[in-house]
Amino acid sequence: MRNPVLLTDSVDAAIVEAAALLDSWELLVRDGAALLDEIDSNGDVRVVLTTTTNPNALRDLFEHARSRSLPVLVGCADETMRRRAVELRADDWYRDPAPADEIAARVRTAIVRASQSGRLLAEHADRVEYEQMLFDSLSGLPTLPVVIERSRALIKERGELVVLYFNFVRYSKIEEIYGWEKLDAVLETTAGAVRDFLTRSSSLGTSRVMVSFTHDDDFVLFHVPSAGEAVATEVEVTALLRDLEGEMSRRIEAAHGEEISALFDIYAGRAHVYYNPKVRLQRQIYRGIREAASAAKSIEERERGRKVDDLRVSVRDGLVDIEYHPIVLVSTGETYGYEALARGRMRSLRSPEVMFEVAAEADLLWELGRLCRHRAIEGVRDKLREGQLLFLNVDPHDFADPAFTEDTLDVSEPRCVVIEITERTAIKDYPKFRERLRAFRERGFRFAVDDAGSGYAGLGSIANLEPDFIKLDMSLINGIDVNFIKQNLVETMVRFANDHGTMVIAEGVETAEEFETVKGLGVELVQGFFLHRPGGLPALTGAARSAHGT
Amino acid sequence: MTNQARPAILVVDDNFDNTEIIRDYLGVRGYPVTVAHNGDQALVEFERVRPAIVLLDVMMPGRDGWEVCRLMKQHAELGRLVRIIMVTALDEWDDKRLALQTGADDYVEKPFDLGRLAETVERNTALLPSIG
Repeated sequence: MRNPVLLTDSVDAAIVEAAALLDSWELLVRDGAALLDEIDSNGDVRVVLTTTTNPNALRDLFEHARSRSLPVLVGCADETMRRRAVELRADDWYRDPAPADEIAARVRTAIVRASQSGRLLAEHADRVEYEQMLFDSLSGLPTLPVVIERSRALIKERGELVVLYFNFVRYSKIEEIYGWEKLDAVLETTAGAVRDFLTRSSSLGTSRVMVSFTHDDDFVLFHVPSAGEAVATEVEVTALLRDLEGEMSRRIEAAHGEEISALFDIYAGRAHVYYNPKVRLQRQIYRGIREAASAAKSIEERERGRKVDDLRVSVRDGLVDIEYHPIVLVSTGETYGYEALARGRMRSLRSPEVMFEVAAEADLLWELGRLCRHRAIEGVRDKLREGQLLFLNVDPHDFADPAFTEDTLDVSEPRCVVIEITERTAIKDYPKFRERLRAFRERGFRFAVDDAGSGYAGLGSIANLEPDFIKLDMSLINGIDVNFIKQNLVETMVRFANDHGTMVIAEGVETAEEFETVKGLGVELVQGFFLHRPGGLPALTGAARSAHGT
Repeated sequence: MTNQARPAILVVDDNFDNTEIIRDYLGVRGYPVTVAHNGDQALVEFERVRPAIVLLDVMMPGRDGWEVCRLMKQHAELGRLVRIIMVTALDEWDDKRLALQTGADDYVEKPFDLGRLAETVERNTALLPSIG
C-alpha cells in the first residue's frame, strides 16, 4: 500500500516536521494549477494544507477538494484569512506560524471531521436545524411547509379553503424595548391564546382548522370545512376574527401588562381559495396567503389613517395626559425625581410609542412634543419637593424645533429639569446638536441619555454628550439576576459612569431579584414597577413645598 | 455535595487539549463531563446527555459557537433548561450584546484560567433548579 500524502501549497520547517510526526506520510508541495491537478488526479492525497492568502486560489482549492471529499486544513496568516476559512467550512485551521505538533494534530482532526462519522454528525445537526424550521420552538405551532403538506389532501377533497392571516404590528418594538426574552414570552402567550380559542370556537364547526406560524411574527389559519358542511360565511369569519383579536389582547394584557398590550395592534385579513387542479396546489395556497396578508395590510393602512385623524384632534384639543413615574434612590428608598410619561387620551393613542410613531408619520412631532412638555411642566408646578427632579423626554428632532429653546421652556428653576435624550434616535448633525445642548446646559438644565447600552451608540458617543444621568436600557435589566453577561454590561456602565461623574438609573426593574442585583452592582437610582407604577403626583404639604416651584 | 447533585456539563471546543484539561479539572470536582469537538457533534451530544450547562467555545470550524448556542437555546424540549457559558474573550460592548442575542447566559475569557472557569460553572450551577 502506498503512503498517504499531505499535499500543500507552501512548505516551511514546521510543516516538514509535522509530516514527519504523522508517521510514514509523504509531503507533496505544489502550486497554482499544478496543485489543483494533483487534487483531481492523485488518489493518495489524504489532506490538503494551504496557507494561501489569495481568496480566489483558496476558493478554487476548496472546490476541487470538495469534489473529491478531501479535507482541507488552512494555515491562516491573520484574522481575515481565518474568517474566510470558516466561511468556506474548512475542516480545520490554525494560526500560521504554528508548532509542528499542532499542525500534525490538526491534520488528524481534519481527517476525522471529513470522515463518514463526521458527515453523519453533520446530518444529525442539520436535522435539528430543520426541525426548528418546521415547528416553532416557542409556540409549538407548525410552520407553513408542514401545514401545506397536511392540508393538501383535505383541500382536494373539499375543493375550497379559507385563509385567515393575522398581522401583528409592532411586535419588533417589544424586542427593541424590552429585549428578545420578553418578545418570546409574548409570542408564547399569543400562540396559547390562538390554540385555546380554536378548541373553544363554535363558528368553525367541525371544520379542520390548521394553524401555522410564519416564523416572523404573524399567524396564518387554514379553515377547511368538513364534508357536507359549508365554509364559514363572511359574517361568521368577521365575528370570529373580532373575538380572536379580543381574546389575544386580554390574554396579553393579563400576562404582560397594559403597557405591552397597548403597544401593538392585530389586523386580520381573509382570502378564499378554490381548488383548481390545473394549478399547482402549493402555488394556490401561497397565493391565498398573499391575498389574505394584503387584505390585512389594507385594514392596517385604513386604521393608520384613522389614528392620524385621532392624533390631529388630540393635538388640537390637548387630549394628552401625563403620568409621573418615580425614580428612587436605592440607598434610602426616597423619590429622587419623576419621569413624565405622555399618554393619548384617545384609546387608539394610549401607548406613547404608538402616539409618537403616528406623529412622526403625520409630521406632527414638534406639535405633539410641545404639548407634552407643556403638560408635564404644568403638572408638577408646586408639587415637587425640595431637590426633586422632573425628567422630560425630548426627541432629538425637537432640538430642530425653533419653538423649543432654553428660553421658551417654561420653568423657573432649570436645575430641577433633566432632559432625557434617547440613544435610539440617530443624531445626524452632531456638532450642532452638542451646541444646542450646551445652550440648555448653560441655563442650568441637566441631561440624561435614555436607553443607554441598547447598542445604537457606543460608550464613546455617550461620553460625548456629557450626560448627568445614564438610564440603562430596559432590555439589560429584564432578567439581569439570572444573566451574568447583563450583569457584566451593567457593571461596566456603572464604572464608566463613576469615572465620568454621572449617575446610573436602572429602568424597568420589575422584580425583587432584579432590584437586589442592580443594587449589588452599584446602581444608585432605580425606576420600575417593582417599586412604583406611573401615576399622579402625591399632594404636598405646605412645609414640604419647594421654595422655588418649577 | 454528592456526584448526583452536580449537573451534567457538555464541553465543546475544537482543541482536544482544552477539552481534556477541562474534563479532568471539572471531573475531579464531581461534574459528569461530556466533550464534543465541533458544533455538529455538540448538537448530537446535547440531545443525548441533556446537559444542564454547556461550555461552548466560539471559534470552531463549521458551525461556530454562536450558531450552536442559538440552536441549543431554540431547542423545543431542552432550550429552556440549559445554561450556556461562552468560552471567548468578549472585549467590546457590542460583542456582549451579540452574545445576549444568541441567548448566552454567561461567558468566560479565553485563554481561560481554570479557577475562574470553575467559579463560572459554580455560579451557573447555583441558578439551576434543584436536581437533588
